[in-house]
Amino acid sequence: MSGPEADTSSGFPSGPKPGPRDTTFFDDPLKDGLIRAVVTLATELSVTRERMRSLELLLREAGVMSADAIDRLALETAEEQARAEERRRLIEDLIGPIASRLG
Amino acid sequence: MSGSIGFAPNHDEAARQAFVGSLKGYINFALEGQLQRLFDEKLVPEQETQQPGSVATRADGEALLADHPLYNLWETLTFHSQNMMWDAVADTADRTMDAQIAAFEDILANPRTGGQLTLQDRLVVKAPISTTEIHRQPGGYWRETRRHDLAAGLNYAGTVDLYRNAKGMGTGGKVGSDSIGQLLAGVARKYAPDLDPKTILDMGCGTGEQTLAYKRVFPEAKVTGIDCARPLVRYAHGYAQSEGVEIDFAEMDAGNTDFADESFDLIVSIIMFHETTQAQVRDILRESWRLVRPGGMVLHLDVPYQPHRMPLFKQVTNHWQVRNNGEPFWTGFAEMDMKDELVAAGFDPEGTFANYETAGPATFYFFGGRKEAAK
Repeated sequence: MSGPEADTSSGFPSGPKPGPRDTTFFDDPLKDGLIRAVVTLATELSVTRERMRSLELLLREAGVMSADAIDRLALETAEEQARAEERRRLIEDLIGPIASRLG
Repeated sequence: MSGSIGFAPNHDEAARQAFVGSLKGYINFALEGQLQRLFDEKLVPEQETQQPGSVATRADGEALLADHPLYNLWETLTFHSQNMMWDAVADTADRTMDAQIAAFEDILANPRTGGQLTLQDRLVVKAPISTTEIHRQPGGYWRETRRHDLAAGLNYAGTVDLYRNAKGMGTGGKVGSDSIGQLLAGVARKYAPDLDPKTILDMGCGTGEQTLAYKRVFPEAKVTGIDCARPLVRYAHGYAQSEGVEIDFAEMDAGNTDFADESFDLIVSIIMFHETTQAQVRDILRESWRLVRPGGMVLHLDVPYQPHRMPLFKQVTNHWQVRNNGEPFWTGFAEMDMKDELVAAGFDPEGTFANYETAGPATFYFFGGRKEAAK
């Protein structure tokens, strides 16, 4: 293949052709969709939990919170480890029961 | 001086990216471990009882797993978590893009070190990088949509340590960590304690975080990083300038560089070879030998997934990544005998090596060689 060229419509390099984003693997694609929906929901639940935890931490420690305080928050190692453990537990709770029934 | 180049998630973006990392870690270890036990302790013994010798190859293993629902669960979660990873880092890249480009343009106008950036008039990227979304990164490594685009670099930089740590191939590094480069520099000292490199070339430097390690470990050396993906080279230059580390970066094909013969004392790369074709692996090895000075060393680091080291089950799951998850050249690289390839590329058989080195939970494959010093 000769070298790629800029996309003449935009004038910028266009990148490779987009690959698949919706491949499914179960006999019924609905199963893939449901599992992925649950995982995506769990992600947002985790994000919300983390934000709540940060808020509570700040309120406990300072009593006053500026608008950008959360974004500037630096976590201690122990707190990071606690959060990692909570994430692991949530994933285990969601997927473990399904996996244990399948094999 | 205003702004710096780097991947900078806010609170919620960091939490989302951390969750994806935890999810990938669960899939790669807990779920894949359960699947491996099912394969080794139930499916294979049952099949072998019915038909002795019928589970001998990767294809046999794939056929045995293909319709099992636990394998399907592992497949769908592995695929989906890769989508989630790119979506999660894109939030940060998109939100910060205007400020990042403004910081890059400020660096161009007001350099913070003497490090140079050289981009080509024409794209040098070629297949397979030009035709494949490696790792399924949307837009691949070379799409640009605006002047001084940094999106491909920001997205890549945001995922590299997340991905490595979740695969058990990281050293615990966070975004921007140079830990793999530090590891490689330590192996260089171990293999060639007498070598005090004055010139170092990092091939396939990507976003440049690891390139910084070589300047930090060998501060007297002139360090150069090259990559064929223009947005990644641009990001690497901005990142090194932001960190105040003097390195030259250039958009260049590692298999066909512009450098004169015997230009470098130490030539390195990190997980570049498994992202390219066997033909380009051979080109890059020949170019490495052409560029290394007498007395110098070529030291490449890559994945340790050679089939002779992998149980049949891992050969199946690794090949699934080849077919479905943006690792199209993983198997091709792993099946090459690198010592034979090095010698075929011109390396002196006496100084050639292909070894495994372990650092914490990670093991890497190191291959290369030394060129005999001039007498």
